[in-house]
Amino acid sequence: MSTTNFALFGAKPAFDKPLPIGQLYFPSWQRYEAAFHGIFERQYYNNNGPLHNKLEEKLQQFLGVQHAICVSNATIGLMMVADAMGLSGKVILPAFTFIASAQSLTWAGLKPVFCDINLATHQIALDQISGLIDKDVSAIMGVNLWGGSCNPKELSKLAAANGVQLYFDSAHAFGCTVDGVSIGNFGDAEVFSFHATKILSATEGGCICTNDENLAERLRSIRPSYGTDNPVSIVRVANARMSEAQAAIALMSLEDFPENQKNNETLYRYYETQLDTIPGLHLVRPTGVSFSNYQYVVCSVDEREFGIPRDLLIEILKAENVVARRYFYPGLHRTIPYVNDLSYYQDRLLNTDSLCASCIQLPIGALVTAQSVERICNILIQAHQSSAEISSRYEK
Amino acid sequence: MAKKSGVEELAIFGGSSLFVIPKSTSNLLRPDFKKFLSYSKMFFDQHQYTNNGPNVKLLEQRLADFHQTEFCVTFCSGFWAIALTISALALKGKSEIVMPSLTYRRMTDIVAWVNLKPHFCEVEPTTLAMSAATVRPCVNAHTALILAVHPIVNCCDIDGLVALAKEKNIPLLFDSVESVYESTASGKVGSFGNAEGFSLHACKLMNGFGGGYITTNEAGLARQLSLMRGFGFEDIDKIVVSGGMNAKLNEMHAAMTLASLDGVEEQVAHNRQRYYIYRRLLPAIPGIRLLEFDERYRAGYKNIVVELLDSWPLCRADTLAVLNAENILARAYYSPPLHHKPMTFANASAELPVTDRLAERFLNLPCGQLVSNADIAGIVDMLGLISGNANRISDLLRENGVE
Repeated sequence: MSTTNFALFGAKPAFDKPLPIGQLYFPSWQRYEAAFHGIFERQYYNNNGPLHNKLEEKLQQFLGVQHAICVSNATIGLMMVADAMGLSGKVILPAFTFIASAQSLTWAGLKPVFCDINLATHQIALDQISGLIDKDVSAIMGVNLWGGSCNPKELSKLAAANGVQLYFDSAHAFGCTVDGVSIGNFGDAEVFSFHATKILSATEGGCICTNDENLAERLRSIRPSYGTDNPVSIVRVANARMSEAQAAIALMSLEDFPENQKNNETLYRYYETQLDTIPGLHLVRPTGVSFSNYQYVVCSVDEREFGIPRDLLIEILKAENVVARRYFYPGLHRTIPYVNDLSYYQDRLLNTDSLCASCIQLPIGALVTAQSVERICNILIQAHQSSAEISSRYEK
Repeated sequence: MAKKSGVEELAIFGGSSLFVIPKSTSNLLRPDFKKFLSYSKMFFDQHQYTNNGPNVKLLEQRLADFHQTEFCVTFCSGFWAIALTISALALKGKSEIVMPSLTYRRMTDIVAWVNLKPHFCEVEPTTLAMSAATVRPCVNAHTALILAVHPIVNCCDIDGLVALAKEKNIPLLFDSVESVYESTASGKVGSFGNAEGFSLHACKLMNGFGGGYITTNEAGLARQLSLMRGFGFEDIDKIVVSGGMNAKLNEMHAAMTLASLDGVEEQVAHNRQRYYIYRRLLPAIPGIRLLEFDERYRAGYKNIVVELLDSWPLCRADTLAVLNAENILARAYYSPPLHHKPMTFANASAELPVTDRLAERFLNLPCGQLVSNADIAGIVDMLGLISGNANRISDLLRENGVE
């Protein structure tokens, strides 16, 4: 393939329209219409409606957790957990995560303590956590990335040994298990995202899971919930109820989970087979889990081996209508407001910086087929093979 | 609905409830299903279910047109719409927010999330609305913002509040959740102060399942808020403002709101009809006064509020207990007022005798799309039964140990 075949240099793009990254599973139009027909018939739209309650029950069964508390989105869910757990002072979390993890702390009046990550797994560096704990740290927020886990069992031991609380941002981890136990059962609480880009979608939405009865009661009062049996005293409500519309989509999505997970895994395996043949592209495996949702395809790009830098590769893919992206970028410590307020972390989180400079996320989900994976991988192979020519032409 | 002939038939004493299906104060508008589906098809075909999708964009344009403002920004709820707007507008380094106590029960929770201290003001005894006169004594060197909340029937004196905010150079945010359709002597609600906030909860005039929005004529504020609701992202990987979170409205909720907006004139006509029936029937019941809409201006007629006058023969709590047992889900108007609610966060102590008195006197009566003309007649009859038999009801309540 000559550079003239690349859309970046004027050729026809490989895809007619942009191929998005996220999962974007959604029920058929017929199912959508039927579900909403039911809602319009019942005229119950929000405030712990029948679909919402059914969803919570089904999630509890699916995850084997005592309390699944659905919320309007995962960010507000994380804010609620911080409040319900009565956290104060500082909370440790990885710097390599989505911005919402840190923003939830800021909204809850807490100060983030950024921990570096393990370069091989992309998960929080367990060996660095103890060194970050001081008297002001009240909790660790583990983040389960890329359909893998951050080793919740080890984290639990670490948190207990240091006398701090532990909860998880499990936005990426719905349906994953650790030694057969569903993520959702670890720490004091876990928060899943049901955003459209996740394997379980409510378009927007989330769910807080806990096996702690008292914490569940506080969370339901913060949400708040109508008809709660035991409203308890809390500091403030968060108005985070999930509507019947969101619950309807999430229920259908939960029903489709086995099929969607299988589709993800099949696509992931296609990627795996082909990416492993490309020098300089290192696919991240979902580590630390006995079962993964395979909802992400993330690689790190070794510029020296691959031949062109990560950002140029993204330009090449975008021109082909493949909406690849840097993710996460930049690290939380280099993002407003933490870049200014917590400047201490600059140049101290070398693995995070390294990953932020090399990571690339590729499409997987409802709109991706085996053929599109093949086409994407062909672009990557050709980009590698023509790297010298591309670099030279791009610079001009 | 079987009319009751005597006190003994009241549900609170073991009779069957007047209504099988509860009659609430929630609007519960059911917009046209075909319209909802037609809007839904837009996002369905584009596979864009949230993140500023086609319905959100259209809705923001339609709502800006509806309120005759330049900008509208939608959010996942009215609560977070107001919280983020306070956060964007509040004067930095100042600690207090002036707000009424006789208002929405979650208002102090909003203020707690933005780390400000509520400084409660009085309301006018005749209108239940805060005014420049009630706000002025509360403004001080610590004031970060004035949160002007319209009452649920009619509006505050907008011009007076705008003039005061201007004089003191303090940001002014209107909470216009109950005044979506309203016009006033100052003009149509939506374009006053720095911004105005609204709710799209199913119980409000516009049913969007849940959601909220802000209208404003300030380009900078609109931009800041639309960034803040989406984590502060201006572009992929580029966060340009602090204070962000996820407060985005999803496409299904936007589609629902668009369908609700399409039917708003028809809805208001029905609301007006319900209101007129209450207005025609209530004068026959002594001791109760309907809070009337100011019909010199456009009104949404959604809420029905009555005052229990000194001559009303039963205490409000008992009146509510009797009504609620009949599945007439009347509610005490903003009671208890916020300054009497336990707060574990900072607040300025307040003595509000006018608010205290008013908080004991008003009731919200059932309204909205599930209340028929016949239902209203039944509700008013029930009030008549209570009014005419108050002593007997009181006695029976005590005998039955209901209190």
